[in-house]
Amino acid sequence: MVGMVTAFSRVAEPESQCIARALRRRDSEFIGRMVSRYHYRLLRYLVYWTSRREQAEDLVQETWLRVLEHAGQYNGRLRFEPWLFSIARNLAIDHLRKQQTARARHRMCREDEAGLNLPAPDFESPFFAAARSEDAKRIAAALGALEPIYREALLLRFQEELSLAEIAQVAGAPISTVSSRIHRGLSMLEASLGGGADAA
Amino acid sequence: MPLENHEKARFLLHRSLVEGISLEDRQWLDAHVGQCAECGRYADLSARAVRALDWFALELDPAAALRVENVVRSRAEGMRSAEAHAKSLWIGTAVAIFLTFTGSAVTWRPLAWLASQWNLPSRVWQIVFAAFWLLPSLLLAFLPLFRRRLLGEDSDSNGQTV
Repeated sequence: MVGMVTAFSRVAEPESQCIARALRRRDSEFIGRMVSRYHYRLLRYLVYWTSRREQAEDLVQETWLRVLEHAGQYNGRLRFEPWLFSIARNLAIDHLRKQQTARARHRMCREDEAGLNLPAPDFESPFFAAARSEDAKRIAAALGALEPIYREALLLRFQEELSLAEIAQVAGAPISTVSSRIHRGLSMLEASLGGGADAA
Repeated sequence: MPLENHEKARFLLHRSLVEGISLEDRQWLDAHVGQCAECGRYADLSARAVRALDWFALELDPAAALRVENVVRSRAEGMRSAEAHAKSLWIGTAVAIFLTFTGSAVTWRPLAWLASQWNLPSRVWQIVFAAFWLLPSLLLAFLPLFRRRLLGEDSDSNGQTV
């Protein structure tokens, strides 16, 4: 934890100060530009969490509304992305919990099963839809099988290029945990590409 | 080649991708991977796995993106006007309270003089003063702040809760 705090206390770019000021002032023009600028990255992050495109799209909007609500908590001393992703993460986790509760209730009320008509798990579709090569298709299958926390760690490290300290901030976990999640996720991806023989 | 060297190479390979390694470790790793075909394949596999992540490209729906942007913009505007309204209410209340007390101080002396002319006990005229001057003024000053609660309006200015 001490390592996390030290890593977070470093000085960030002045852009984060502009964002903090715009959020506090409710500058709709600036906020609108930010929504547009971060839309793809936020959507991709939420797809990695939820494995469902439609839910991710809904959560993108909820994330921004929550950003507005909690604007006072962002002081601009750290980068904006980890703060944004941590809000999205909390919403995604709440959403997944609600889904799990609904599924559990669904299982308990067998007589009403037909009426509830909950969608079947569809973990692979968004990744397969986005896969552009054979390697990517194999990775898509591996990603679909990975738990969201490993997918999240891989995305934040290799696509968002956040530092381990920033990922730890988003995930609310120690750096060592984040590091082992990335190692494990990477090993699983390597196994999917190399048929498992080369995985550690 | 000892088994520990391969394990060390794999450990360093992952570490170099995840958090970076020292120059000394990098030199050792490059030398080892150059000599060991198996670890070379593993290095290639790791690099492919990371590259493959970059090949995922979600297709964006511009209409959906614009919809989100508009909703967030209008919420920001709503919040700004609600906050400005709340701020003006607080300022108005502060001014009203100030005027209540300064006005009370000004009217106190004439009332005390009138009470002495009519031989009214001081407690009586002071109660009358509090009931018909001070309390109504204070109630009117605070009324705008609690208007919503009194009218039973729990939602925010946009009628939505997140």
